[in-house]
Formats: sequence, structure tokens, C-alpha cells
Amino acid sequence: MSTEFIKVTINGKDFQVPKGARLIDVCRENSFDIPSFCYYADLALQASCRMCLVRIEKMPKLQTSCTITCTDGMIVTTQSEEIEKAQRAMMEFLLANHPLDCPVCDRGGECELQEMTFDWGGLEERFTERKNYQPEKYLSPMVANDPQRCILCKRCTRVCDEWMGEDAIEAGGRGAGTVIGTYLGWLDCSQCGNCIEVCPTGTLLDATYRHQARPWELTQTVSTCTYCSDGCQMSLGSRGGELMRVVARDRYVNGLNGEFLCIKGRFGHPFVNHEARIRTPLIRYKKGGKLIPATWDEAIAHVALKLDEIADKHGRNTIGIVASPRLTNESLYTLRKFATELVGTDNYAGGDAFSLKPFFASLAGKLATHRDIRYAKTILLIGGEPEELQPLTGKQVRQAVRNGGAMLIVANSVPIRLTEQASQFIHLRRGTEDAIALALLGTDNDSLIVKKAGIDQKELDSLRQAIAETKGDLVVMFGGELSADAQAMLGHLPHLLTSSDMRVLLHPLPLFNNSVGAHDMGWDEGAMTASQMLDAAGDEIRAMYVAGSFLPAHLKDREDALGRLEFLVVQELFETKTSAYADVILPAASFAEIDGTFTNNDGFVQRVRQSIPPVHQAKPDWVITAQLASKLGVDFGFNQSAPAVFREIAARVPAYSELRYPLLKDETHPVQVKHSLAEQRDTLEWKAGLRTVLEDFNPQAEKIAGTPEVGHELFKIGTLTDKVPQFHLLAAGNPRPETVRISPLYQITLDADLRRETAIVGD
Amino acid sequence: MFIGAVGCKPLQLARVHLENSRSLEVYRRHGGYEALNTVLTSMSPDDVINEVKKSALRGRGGAGFPTGMKWSFVPKDSPKPKYVVCNADESEPGTFKDRYLMERDPHMLVEGMLIAAFALGAKTNFIYTRGEYKYLIDIMDQALDEARRAGLLGQKILNSDFSCEIYTHTGAGAYICGEETALLSSLEGFRGHPRMKPPFPAVSGLYACPTVVNNVETLTAVPDIIKMGGEAYQKLGTEKSGGTKLWSVSGHVNRPGVYELPMGYDDMEKFIMEDCQGMRDGKALKAVIPGGSSVYIIRADQILGKDVRMDYEGLVAGGSMVGSGGFIVMDETVDVFESTQNLTEFYKHESCGWCTPCREGTDWLVKVFKRISSGGGVPEDAQLMLDLCDNIEGKSFCPLGDAAAWPIQSAIKRFPEDFKKHLTNGQQ
Amino acid sequence: MSQQLTQIQPLSQPVDIADEIAAFSPAVEAEIDRHLAKYPVARSAILPLMFIVQRERGYLDPGGVRYLAKRLRLRYTDIWEVATFYSMIQTKPVGRYHIQICKTLSCKIMGEGKITEHVCQRLGIKPGETTADGKFTVSLVECLGSCGTAPMFQVNFDYHENLTPERVDKILDSLV
Ligand SMILES: Cc1cc2nc3c(=O)[nH]c(=O)nc-3n(C[C@H](O)[C@H](O)[C@H](O)COP(=O)(O)O)c2cc1C
Ligand code: SF4
Ligand code: FES
Repeated sequence: MSTEFIKVTINGKDFQVPKGARLIDVCRENSFDIPSFCYYADLALQASCRMCLVRIEKMPKLQTSCTITCTDGMIVTTQSEEIEKAQRAMMEFLLANHPLDCPVCDRGGECELQEMTFDWGGLEERFTERKNYQPEKYLSPMVANDPQRCILCKRCTRVCDEWMGEDAIEAGGRGAGTVIGTYLGWLDCSQCGNCIEVCPTGTLLDATYRHQARPWELTQTVSTCTYCSDGCQMSLGSRGGELMRVVARDRYVNGLNGEFLCIKGRFGHPFVNHEARIRTPLIRYKKGGKLIPATWDEAIAHVALKLDEIADKHGRNTIGIVASPRLTNESLYTLRKFATELVGTDNYAGGDAFSLKPFFASLAGKLATHRDIRYAKTILLIGGEPEELQPLTGKQVRQAVRNGGAMLIVANSVPIRLTEQASQFIHLRRGTEDAIALALLGTDNDSLIVKKAGIDQKELDSLRQAIAETKGDLVVMFGGELSADAQAMLGHLPHLLTSSDMRVLLHPLPLFNNSVGAHDMGWDEGAMTASQMLDAAGDEIRAMYVAGSFLPAHLKDREDALGRLEFLVVQELFETKTSAYADVILPAASFAEIDGTFTNNDGFVQRVRQSIPPVHQAKPDWVITAQLASKLGVDFGFNQSAPAVFREIAARVPAYSELRYPLLKDETHPVQVKHSLAEQRDTLEWKAGLRTVLEDFNPQAEKIAGTPEVGHELFKIGTLTDKVPQFHLLAAGNPRPETVRISPLYQITLDADLRRETAIVGD
Repeated sequence: MFIGAVGCKPLQLARVHLENSRSLEVYRRHGGYEALNTVLTSMSPDDVINEVKKSALRGRGGAGFPTGMKWSFVPKDSPKPKYVVCNADESEPGTFKDRYLMERDPHMLVEGMLIAAFALGAKTNFIYTRGEYKYLIDIMDQALDEARRAGLLGQKILNSDFSCEIYTHTGAGAYICGEETALLSSLEGFRGHPRMKPPFPAVSGLYACPTVVNNVETLTAVPDIIKMGGEAYQKLGTEKSGGTKLWSVSGHVNRPGVYELPMGYDDMEKFIMEDCQGMRDGKALKAVIPGGSSVYIIRADQILGKDVRMDYEGLVAGGSMVGSGGFIVMDETVDVFESTQNLTEFYKHESCGWCTPCREGTDWLVKVFKRISSGGGVPEDAQLMLDLCDNIEGKSFCPLGDAAAWPIQSAIKRFPEDFKKHLTNGQQ
Repeated sequence: MSQQLTQIQPLSQPVDIADEIAAFSPAVEAEIDRHLAKYPVARSAILPLMFIVQRERGYLDPGGVRYLAKRLRLRYTDIWEVATFYSMIQTKPVGRYHIQICKTLSCKIMGEGKITEHVCQRLGIKPGETTADGKFTVSLVECLGSCGTAPMFQVNFDYHENLTPERVDKILDSLV
């Protein structure tokens, strides 16, 4: 928006507003209330609800303020008898065929239609005719639908199209027979549920939470999502120690994601209160024996004793410590301190899919925030698949292109869905993602790149041209396919490309909610990686302490590694492949039960807040670590207080210096940590490294042809999503049940592993 | 059914009675494509637009917007392709003139479109015809083929530097697609919802490119304007609306049909009683809807002896509008309550459903009409209906909402007795 | 409720559509290509193509929807939203002869009622219904642009105007 200001008169008062401002926004910012349903910032204008009518001098008829761009000298009236009559009339029309069944509607209490009706007051019901009837139904395991309550504001169809690029839900029929729906009534999509979120009425509803609670019974706690590295802000709705639902409604929370969440954030929470949570500490006193419930004191004492023993017998470095990138900064920090200062081992590692160390070591500029992405001019995405792995980033990229006119260049071995938005798609051979990093360093290796990556010289030329012509922000994103050298090189790009016309911003795409935090807390600095430790199990590594679990990728082809350990401690929520070998299992608290922070891929440190007390005997990971430390004779001095841990982080980790919880209070203004920036250095070494990688590359490798199906990553069953029965239906291909009038969970059995009681938890 | 001119020489209808009038040969023999030749050999695009401006031609689709002015809104320097789209969606109840123009004289439309395309720099053009007029699409396709073979369409037309294509396109049963922005949505392959204005189609229309949408009758007037000159054309009509206008006459007259009248024809009573040969079966005139279903209905006593002039200003003075010229004549046997119910059902069926007042309002109104007609009416219903109409009028997204409200408002005000009769039913 | 659990085959698509995609003769494919060639954007051809599918298959059936989605590179839902907007696109089977009687004002006041009654009586069905042999469907439709020659109906795409019960008989006889 321009910085030029113009004068607008609203209800007799003069205002200076930026040229090009939208009238409805200007009115609202200046506390003139304008009712609306269809208007939704940053979505295509709809102007169909006709609620936002105002009178503008010199214009015939009332005008919809959502469609009006302010012009200099405009004189506007937002309140008058004429306007109120019109707005009341629109309400009356909207309510005519509405069933008025608020008492049984899940949205009752947080429904915009209901609130507007109460605000207006004094509506007499003149409509005495029969209402148009349409039955309630399910559109998918996640989405329930009561078409009669619909006011056709089409926010749902617009977010589906503009945010998600899926266009799975649409308006069908015509006139009074218009309904929101899909072909044959079954919703085949990524099941993000954003249509539910933006629905102002009770038309689209969370099918996993139907008739479970009324909104006013829920305690709302603002927190951060525990799935991917985007760090969406969400409101956890709990009742009586149970986490009932997760929403991002702007009445409760206003984070970087707005009202956006993906399927995991919105529907992936039932693991929290799942019956399979580990209830007490468990000790296996003898290898091959059974796990026996124990008290915390017993378990801590047992672990302390064993670790001491092994350190004495084999040396401190034979104790390996691994931390999952899902833990909070507080837990990661405490465990790292425990590893280095107390156990004194060199062998500690983060359990992430790839290390961010090379990237951060050469980092030469700011990390792109999600807002930066939305307003970028050019976006280069190398590898990765944000629409499945970092869905908020995917949405921001899509909107940058669709609503912001940004240019998107995708370089990938798979034609991922985002290529639909791309102005250029460089289809690489699998494994040659590094080639693009090399290409950004100069033209001297083009023939090698062209040959090995299987692309055309023209594609490189037009990539370079697009970057050269960028006026504004260039955002470079990359996935874990890139080698360490390539990541290091990309981290250095701001030094290489920044010009007076162009700022270079970087956006790594790690997989986990606290991958960046794990790096910041020093988990990339150990002597071995998690995989190396597994390979050394029973040899250089005799005991392991694992907070969280290994990723399937770590355990692949190393199934028996854990069995070779003398002693294994696992902190977990559930029994996993890792805990199967554990000698001691310590029940950890989930994200909903603790206070702490996560650091996302923007570098934002965001608060995790306790919504419910820890279930059973679970404890926050860092509390467990601190208790173990004190058993071993060292008091970390945290006094059971997460803020105290964070104060120490701020004191010891430079990027976090001076941060405090109170500064992180407002999710609307997240705080970016100050990663240190590297001095400009020579790129020859990287270049050589990248060239070697490419030269060694076997050009037989394929390019993958088909665009992957929506949900191929999102619906994968992991330890947490395994506890949500609906995910199993989706993973099985989202079969349409015999009738859509009854919850699909009642009609379809899940795979044999899942017990029946859990199968009907959703209802 | 009568087809012909009254009060002037036939212009648009000059060839409709000729044998083989559809053929290129007959069209050419009677002066066809001469205007195109003139344009291509001796006129600039601006000359053409100026001539059309001088002609005071107003759009015949219903809104009556000055055509020359509309054409001049198309940005000349835009690098985007430009489009001329002919609106042959003719679905306004009571209107059937475009149908006969295309059926009898398709080349006149082709020539008109070519001249418009030349004036606006359009290379690809479409004729959007309602799906029910399938046979007309076939006729137009034939005519276009014929023209193509004769070098009148395609590359280097008449050996000039002007190249241009025209294609037919079919609607599929939606009145709203006659509204120009809805038509463009439909032509792009979407649901036929109207779009926001501004931007106007002249700036951002089909595929977000500059586009002019004109009615069939508007475009078919263009060759004559070029041939006789804008001024001469204007003189056929009035100062503000030049030329002749087609009226589709239906209902209880002895001779329904398509009548070509000069703009400003005097007067409506004469037109009904003499030109249309009076009322059928000697019944008395009760009401006329002069401009298609969307305009105000007028009472016989607003016409008889009132000297209503048949042009834009004259009809407004007479209590209605020219609209699309769909002239529906009703005799004393018609119950205006019922006729209004019939039209309201039409608007409910055709409301696209985009905006609240039109979607819900027309649905509600039909329910009220149905309740009343099945004996459940109460006197307050008249006020209720007027209030609902008031709540739709001026608040809807596109003019269809207004079009649904006007017939009801005028009917209740002008034929209160017909309504009263039904509204007291419930109390007896 | 848990007793009601039934095991059904997981499908990635709704159970009631078969996998079939409509297939057409080379002549029809060529016709479709001609339509596609007219437009700078393929989606524009959606209505003309729907009419072709309808002509060839009786109505826009699931196989036809799949065909259009593939041909126009659209989602099924895109086809659905468009098809259900337009009253001439049939998403359910209709009779071989679709008799569409205009019921709007000019036809109404010129005797549409008698014609409808006559047609329905002869065929033994009500408006909106199809005869048991699948031969005739009767619908009441809005203005067809034949007001000057009212009353009228359209049988498929053919106009029949200035109708009287006698003419209706003749027309129907010619179709039987
Ligand atoms: C609801 C509605 C229906 C319309 N239907 C038609 C129509 O069937 N044919 C037509 O030519 N114009 C129709 N119009 C008018 C068009 O919007 C537009 O004004 C016209 O095509 C412009 O052409 P003209 O300037 O040549 O009249 C309709 C307008 C509205 C609001
Ligand atoms: S007034 Fe509204 S609902 Fe009616 S046709 Fe226009 S946009 Fe559609
Ligand atoms: S908010 Fe303006 S019309 Fe709905």
C-alpha cells in the first residue's frame, strides 16, 4: 500500500488514510462498526452478503464498503436509518431459511450469525413460510455439514481454493437451491479443516468434536502447534483436564497463521488424552524381562545408578544422548546441559532428519518470516514439498503468487502441487537438487549442471533472469534433499546476491516443530550423529538416553542396534519402536501439558502454554532431566519453573539473549531470535564440493513424473496421528461410507490393529 | 406472426422476407458487406467509433447505454488481446427479436461484429447464444463458414490487413448469463455469476482482457450506420436515441410479432390498436409490460388517450421503461396477481444465488405468492411484499434483484384490486 | 452403535461411481477438438462439451464427468459446480424426448395450462416425470423466446409453436 495519504470523512469526522485503503477496513480501524459476513481480508472479494452497506455521497444507492477503495474527499455515512433498515433486512433474509437451532449447534456461542442477531436485537420473525429443508451430513471423517445453516458467504470455498489450492469444496446448484458441497458429496482433499474455521455459522463443523462440548465450557489456551516447523499459533480448548479441540479462530488467537491450520494441527491432538499414554515410569530390571511400573523416585534412582555405573566402567563418552526436535527449547536446553556438564559426554545429537548446522554456520541474512513470504516478489523453492510438510509455508507461497503476483520458481525432482502456481518449474533428476545451488554461484558449471540434472540451459538462464529482475524480496527456500555444502552455500546467498533493488531472505524447511530450536540449543554440536551412535551401539556407545524416539529413518536397517546397548532410557508419551528396547521408560508430558517455547522456521520463539495438567504421572521432559541431575548431585536451580530455564537460555545462548517470557506474550507480534551472521567468505570450497557431488552423480536417476496425491505425507501414520482414528480412514484412501448421514467412523472399521473402542472415540 | 417495420422503412428487417435470406449471396446482393468494405478501405477505427457515436445508437440489450461511448472506453494502448462478444442470450420473458435477426439475416450480425472488431482491434470474438437456441447456433455456424470461405472472416479479410475470427458459443439455460459480466464468467467456463463492476468489461472482461459486450440488435445496427452515416441514422430516431428499434410483441393482440419502429414512435395506443391490429376476441386492454418482464407494468388507462411515445424518455414518462422491448399485452381476462406470481417464479428460478437479497428475497416472495394463491393470504401480505421488494431493490449485487422487485412493486401499486381479491381469501 | 460397524472396501473415490471414463468415436473426438480450438483457455469449452456428452450418453453421467475432468484438466467438483448451475445440463437421466413446455408469462396467458394438461394426460405423467419406457420426459421451463408464437414447447432442441391440443397430438404421434 502506498504511503500517500488522502482525506476521507466518515460520519462527519475527517481521517487521513493511506491511498488505496479499503473502506470497510478504514471504518473498522476507526471504530465504526460495519457488519459483514463474506468479507475476509486477503481473500478474493465476494460482496455477496450485502451486510456492509454504507452511504457515500455522490453515489447512487447504498454501497458495499468491502468493495470500495477510498478516494480523496470521499464522504461516508455508516449509520443511519436507511442503512440500518437495509442491514436488518439482510439479516432477516439470511435467517429466513435458517433453522434457528442454536441450542443444538456446535457453533452456538461462537457463531457470527448468532452474535450479529443478538447485537441487532428486536428482530421480529416475519417469515412464516416453510423453510427449505436439507439434511445434515458428513462430507468426510473430519468435516460435518449442516447445509441449512449456510449463508453462502463462500469463505470456505475461497480458502479451499486460494489458501490450499485444492478447490475441493464449491458451490453447486443455483439461486435458493445453492449449496456448498462437492461432486457426489464426498470431500477428497487434504482435510485441513480451514473451511470449518472460517465458516461464520454452524454449517461446516469439526466432525471429530461433534456434540462434545459447548464453546463456553472450554478453557482457551493460546499455544504453538507441535507438528511441523511452521509453528502455527492455535487455541487449545480444554475441559476438565481433557483437550477437546484445537482451533485458530481469531476471537481466541491471532498468530502468524491467521485462522489457518493444517489437518495435523487441527485434528492431530487426540493423542494427548489417548488411553495408550504411558502412565507411570517403567523399569525393566533384567534384559528380556518385563517392564514393571515403578515410582518416579525408583525410576530416577535406577537411571542415576546405571548411568554412573556405565560411566565408571566404560567411560563417559560411551553414554550417548539423543533429543527429539519435538521437545521444547527448555527441555532441549536442560538435557544438553545434562549431557555436557553432568554426564560429560561428547556424544549427544539431535534426532532430526537433517542437520541445520551448515546452513546456520554460514548464515548471512535474515530468515524470511511467513509474512515476508506472502509479500515476496520472487520465491525460489529448491527441493522440499511445503504443501505437505510445512503447509503454512505452502499457503503463503500460493497466496504470494495468486494474490500478490509473486513469481515462483520450483526446482524439484517431483512436480509437486505448488508447481501449479509456479511460473517456472525446473524438473531435476532425483538427487541433483544441489545443482541449483551451484547454478546460483555462477555460470561456469552450467554444462555439468545441464548434463547431470537433465535440464535445459534455457532453464538456468531464465532462473537467473528472474532473480536479476526482482525488485523487492527474493525468498529462497530449500528442503532436506540438499547436501551440507549446498545448504551452507544457500545460507551465504545474501552476501552473494543482495542488491539495492533486492533483499535476499532465507527460509529453511526443516520437518519438526522445534528443529530450529534444537539447533540453537546446541544439539548439532556433538561428536556423533544419532545414526552414528546407533551404528556404534554396543561398542563405543554402551548406554543411551533418548528423549523422544528415533525417527524411522534412523532405525531403518539398524533394527537390532538398540538391543546391543547395555542400558537404554527413553522419555516418551507412547510405547514406540525405540522404547521397545528401553530398560527404563519415563512418561513425558505432551505439548498441551507444559509451558515452554518452540522456535520455528522463521526464527520466531513462540510460547507453548499449559492447557491441561499432565495426564497420569507424566512430567515435562526438562523436569525429569533436572530431577535426574539432582539425584546425581547437581541442582540445576530451575525450581520447577520453566521461566527460570528460559532465563538461563537467554543468558547462555547468544541468539536468545535478553529474551523473557513476558516479551513473548503476544502471539500477534512474535519475536525473531538473533542468529549470528557469518562474515562473507570465499565460495570456492563449496563450489568444489558441489561439483564433486554432481560429477559423481549417476545420471541414470529418474525424474518423477506424476504430481503426488494430496495428503501423501500429511496422512502418513506417525506415533501421534496413529492415535486419531480418522487418520486411519484417510490413510486407507478416505473411503466413502454407505451413508453420509452417519459418522464414517461408525460405518467403517479401521485396520485390524486399532481396537473398536478407539475406533468410535470420535463420536 | 408478423415481422416487419411500421412507421419507417425496414432497416434491420430489410431482408427478412427475402427467399434464402440467410445466404451470403442474397445478403451481398442486397448491399451486404458493403459497409465492411467501406470500413476496411477508407476508415480508421476512430472514424468508426465516431460514426457510431454520432448515430446516437443505444444498446438494445436492455440497459440502453450509448454504444459509441462504450466502445471508446476500451483502452487503445493495452497490450492485451481485445474481444467483442455478442450477447445473444435473449432470455428476458417477452423478448424474441434477436432470434429472428439471427434466423433470417445472420450475415448482418457477422458484418456488424466484424466492424466492431475492427473498431476495437479485436482478433477473436464470440457470439454467446442461449443453449435453447441450438438451431440458431447452427445457422450462425453456417453463416460463419460461408463468410470464411468467401474471405470475409479469418486472415486478411477482403485482402486488407485486417484479420479476425468469430466463434459461436453456447449457454445452457441461465437467464442471468444475459447480464454481461455473468455472460463472461460463463464464457470462461464458470458458473454464471455476475462480477464486480468496476472493473468494467471494457477494461477487464473476458480472460481479464478489454471486452465489449453488445446485444445482437445493437451490432446489427452497425452496418446501416456506416452505410448511411451516423447522422442520418440518428435522424431516424430522436436526438438522444437514434435509429429504429425492434419490439417483440406477444400476448392478447391480434397480430403478435417483431415490429421495427423508429425511436420515438407515437403512440403506444395506436401501436396496439392499429399496428398490432387490436385486442384479440374484442376484449378490453388491461395492462402492458412494454420492455420485457423486468420493467414496470402499466395500466390500460395509463396508455389509452395518453399519447405514450415509444422511446426511452417517452416510456419513463409513461410509467415504465424500454428495457429489451419485450412488449407483453394483457387483456381483461388476466389476473395481475397471477401474472406477477408467474414472473416472480421466473426470477426465483433464475436468481443466480450469489447475493443475499435476491437469492433469499425471491425465494421468500414466491412462498408468499404460493401461500396466497392457495388461500392463505392476509391483507398485510401486500405490505410485506412491498417491503421485501424494497429490501431487495438497490441492495442486490446485480440488476436482476431490481428486475425481480419492479414488476411486483408496480403491480401492487397499479392493480391493487387484483391483489386485494386474493388477500382477503384467507379471512373468508 | 459399535455393532453397526461394517467392513467396506476402501476406495479413493465415492462408492457409487464406477471407474469408467466416457469414450467417444473419432468423429465426436474431432468435434470436441474443434470446440477446444476456439478458446484460448480450455475451460471455456465446458458447456459445449457438456452438451456433446449429454447428446452421446443421454445425460451428464459419472463417466462423462470423469471424461470432462480429464479433457479439461479440472477437478470433478469443478464440473459439478458448473453442471448444477445450468438448467439445461442434466445430471440425471431424462427421456429420449424431452418435452419442455414454456410456462412463463406470454405462454401462460396464451394457454400453456391447456397444453401442459394435454401433454401430461396423453403421456400419463406429471411435469418433472419420465414415462416408464424412458421415452418421454415432461418439464415446465422458463421463457424460450417464442412469446409471439405462444403457447409452445421444445422437444429436445426442436421448437414447436402456436400449439393447440390437435397439433400436440400430431407432434406426439410423430414421435411415438
Ligand atoms: C439480469 C439481466 C439479464 C440480461 N439479459 C440480457 C440478454 O438476454 N440479452 C442482452 O443483450 N442483454 C441482456 N442484459 C443486458 C446486458 O447486461 C448488457 O447490458 C448488454 O448485453 C449490453 O449490450 P448493449 O449495450 O448492446 O445493450 C441483461 C442484463 C441483466 C441485468
Ligand atoms: S441480484 Fe444477486 S443473486 Fe440475483 S442474480 Fe444478481 S448477483 Fe445473483
Ligand atoms: S462484506 Fe461486503 S458484501 Fe459481504
